[in-house]
Amino acid sequence: MDFYLGLAQIIGVHTLLGLSAYCVLLTGQVSLAQAGFFAIGAYVAGMLTVLAGWSLVPALLISALVSGAVACAVGFPALRVKGLMLVVATTAFGEAVRLFFFNFTYQIQAGNLKLGPHGGEGFRQIRYFPENGWSTLDVVIFIWIVVALVMAALWWLDRSRAGAVLRAVGEDELAAQSSGINITAVKVSAMTIGGLIAGIGGGIFAHYTTHIEHIQFGVVLATFAIAYPILGGLSNVFGTLLAVIFIQGFLIEGLRFMGDWRNLLFGGLIVLAMNIRPRGLLDAGTTRALKRLFSSGKEPSGA
Amino acid sequence: MAARRHCNRVYVPDSGFVVDYLDLIDAVQSVADGVLFGATYALLGIGFTLIFGVMHKINLSFAAASIGAAYVSLLILAGFKAPAILVFLTAALAGGVIGALVYLVGFKFIPLANPLATLMSTVGLLLLIDEIIVHSTDGVPLNYPALFSDVIIPAGPFNIRGDLVFVFVLGCVCMAVLLTLLYRTKLGLATRAVSQQPVASQLCGISITRVNLLTFVITGMVGGIAGAMTGAAIGMLSPLLSLPLTVKGLIVTVIGGLGSIPGAIIAGLVVGGLENFFQFFRGVTERDLYIMLLLFAFLVFKPGGLFATSAGRD
Repeated sequence: MDFYLGLAQIIGVHTLLGLSAYCVLLTGQVSLAQAGFFAIGAYVAGMLTVLAGWSLVPALLISALVSGAVACAVGFPALRVKGLMLVVATTAFGEAVRLFFFNFTYQIQAGNLKLGPHGGEGFRQIRYFPENGWSTLDVVIFIWIVVALVMAALWWLDRSRAGAVLRAVGEDELAAQSSGINITAVKVSAMTIGGLIAGIGGGIFAHYTTHIEHIQFGVVLATFAIAYPILGGLSNVFGTLLAVIFIQGFLIEGLRFMGDWRNLLFGGLIVLAMNIRPRGLLDAGTTRALKRLFSSGKEPSGA
Repeated sequence: MAARRHCNRVYVPDSGFVVDYLDLIDAVQSVADGVLFGATYALLGIGFTLIFGVMHKINLSFAAASIGAAYVSLLILAGFKAPAILVFLTAALAGGVIGALVYLVGFKFIPLANPLATLMSTVGLLLLIDEIIVHSTDGVPLNYPALFSDVIIPAGPFNIRGDLVFVFVLGCVCMAVLLTLLYRTKLGLATRAVSQQPVASQLCGISITRVNLLTFVITGMVGGIAGAMTGAAIGMLSPLLSLPLTVKGLIVTVIGGLGSIPGAIIAGLVVGGLENFFQFFRGVTERDLYIMLLLFAFLVFKPGGLFATSAGRD
């Protein structure tokens, strides 16, 4: 049972990470900086609960705000470039954040323990959950409440005018600009929202793993972050959730019985999926088909 | 922190700004080694630039494929005691074959209008190639043969390592061949035509699929040589090399200016030199941090890179 609860935690946190990249991808920008925002959120939230003794929810709010502010500040210079240049710029930023935490030490003495981030050894003893008597189930419920809130907010955003503006920029920048949309403002806002979500995700991640290290926030995590929404499809937020379940639940945990061969299959299946469904697993066509299926099912009973 | 302080004391004198003569020599020596090794980065940068130039797509699996090609070239060493130069040639050939496979699996059947899909498929290929390497070598780093590793050329107070000079010269030869190919042959003309105006070049009877495939084969060969050069300069091969090389290759591409081969060459050498410069003065843990910040500054103040081509119509 604990195994499935652990898996539910991983899926929840990775969904937040994927959703943070989803916001940015909606505007057509590929950002590999999400792992950096995630790292900032993790370290900030961890330091607030461990060193400053805050409780979790305010710590998560602050970590979200800090990550969002950094994302906004990075967005202005980074979003002047696009395509390959943006990929490289955001990779560089993400790596710079990771290397910053690799060299970052800030410890205080608490009893006979030293607490706080310690360079290459990472940040140990983020024991907020055990100290406050949260069971694994409580943590899972908490994570999924946050995930549900974020998904609902994004679902609503997608249906509002702001969502239409985001997608307009993503579909055709020139056309969007011609119809009077300030594309820089839109892109930076998307980046900021992405940073906020990644900050929350990182904060939760730090608390359920209890030990964070710079190496966890490398290019691989950044790649996963954009892999979820791309693989799942950008037509709505459930694509990302579906892709996280597919990758974390099926490819990583479900294929564990295959031993070594699992890793080989992992890359191969991603390539295959992109060849078969270049617009993602849950693309616009599938969404429409599902909707028709459900509404046609309803009609007889509703009549 | 304490560990780094200790490191600094070994490398940088405590006497503040006065760097004494011996330290200066050490610094210059280390930067020179870096510049020689930078030829590898230059070749990788050229690969990224060429593929981007022709297809307007990023091939993130390029560096992994290069390392993979270097691994394949080790297979002939298993058969008999082959001279190192033969190993390098095999790496180039294997790189070409892997390049063609990458094109077929990751690009051919995915609609061109969807850049995200090919980005993702190359990420999948990167993971796949890495895992194939891990799987077939049990994740153990393998030794790689070097040429002239016992030659050390003394030049005044400096010692120049023979293997690094060989790597550097090989890199220069590759670049020269590549430039000739691009600017003096029909294939090069076709490649440049496709990169500028795909539709118009198709109307002139150029097969885009064929040009794309050939570009992948050629860049794959360049990558194979770059992989072999990395192996020769470091002395071993490990799948752990592929991600850092991917990042460095992309950095070189951007600093040099997208689509510019001379830019990629110069940026490769500069990044190689700076890397050792920062490593010398700030230690290995902070080295890449400064490279990343430098790149970020570059993108903010000079987004076009060193040799930006003027934006064409498209």
